Amino acid sequence: MSNAVAHAEQHAHTHHPELRHHFDTMPQQKEAAVIGMWVFLLTEILFFGGLFVAYMIYRVWYFDAFAEASRRLSLFWGGLNTAVLIGSSLTMAMAVRGAQTNKRAATVNWLILTMILGCVFLGVKVIEYQDKFANYEVPGPSFNWLAHEQHEAAAGGEHPSTSLGAGTAAAPAAAGEGEHRNLSLTPEQLQRTTQIYFSLYFTMTGLHALHMIIGIGLMSVITWMAWKGKFDEQYYTPVEMSGLYWHFVDIVWIFLFPLLYLVERHQ
Amino acid sequence: MSSEHAHAHESHGAAHVSPVSLYVTIFLALMVLTGVTVAAAFVNLGQFNFLVAMIIACFKASLVIWYFMHVKYQSRLTKLTVATGLFFLAILLSMMLIDYSSKGFTPMPPRVNPDSEFQRP
Repeated sequence: MSNAVAHAEQHAHTHHPELRHHFDTMPQQKEAAVIGMWVFLLTEILFFGGLFVAYMIYRVWYFDAFAEASRRLSLFWGGLNTAVLIGSSLTMAMAVRGAQTNKRAATVNWLILTMILGCVFLGVKVIEYQDKFANYEVPGPSFNWLAHEQHEAAAGGEHPSTSLGAGTAAAPAAAGEGEHRNLSLTPEQLQRTTQIYFSLYFTMTGLHALHMIIGIGLMSVITWMAWKGKFDEQYYTPVEMSGLYWHFVDIVWIFLFPLLYLVERHQ
Repeated sequence: MSSEHAHAHESHGAAHVSPVSLYVTIFLALMVLTGVTVAAAFVNLGQFNFLVAMIIACFKASLVIWYFMHVKYQSRLTKLTVATGLFFLAILLSMMLIDYSSKGFTPMPPRVNPDSEFQRP
């Protein structure tokens, strides 16, 4: 009897229920998962890398346009989102730690907090996108680089609103009122080249936001699994893997923030 | 065969659990570095503004990879996998920039443009 119990305990100890038959030990299984996840993240790095290359080349070609367009982004919202995302990386690391130390409630709570911070980030992104749509700063037929200044001038009651299509002769005058810097580009050139910046802005932040949505979706499944008590200190691979994914998304934003919001702020 | 594999992984034991203080320290460092990035952007450093911003961003990314993503405590094979990805990203960025920045180095024949008023005879 006691022998049978001892044997059962030993069996339970040596063979974790989550240990797949093609692995010898739990650490071996976990290492395989970690390497597999990193290989996936490498494809993601190169996926975003292509966009970063496109950004770099156009930034070199049209630096003045990038500098001008970058100032149209709100440093407050961008900075806030950076802080929110770094904070969510901390809560994610804490969630993985909770799983490592077999604290079910802590894991669930930290995961929920991470998801809330992710949603705050996306909410701020909606505010920023809405502002871009309202200011005719979305690339396409309705893109109007001068709408921003005309809006400001109209608010001050100095200028009747003019559109670029109505008369290009009036446009430089309107731009001259709003701009205090010496620009190497005419308003017509800015109208064309700043669209490249905003195209890259929407593609890069949009793809990043899509990754955040996927990350939140993953985490809601992981939270449910953690709540059901599927993890212990031997097996918490899904928590760790979604953590790696979330931290990767954070790293992408760490680069996007200075590249998009801080092109040239010192003028 | 099986015992060999088991032996190879025995030394790993349980996964490393980082103390909470380390995570909080990394978080605070990331926040301070974000502030430094924003502050540096408002100082005119000429060509070096971009370089400073990228060095800080790379340092922040390294902190996240090393401590939050636990690469510090992973096997050499995992570290090599991460390094491989960064190496290929470096190839992607540097080769493309070298190609585009050196376009003007080689002399090109005069451009023939039917719309131009300066046409070759």
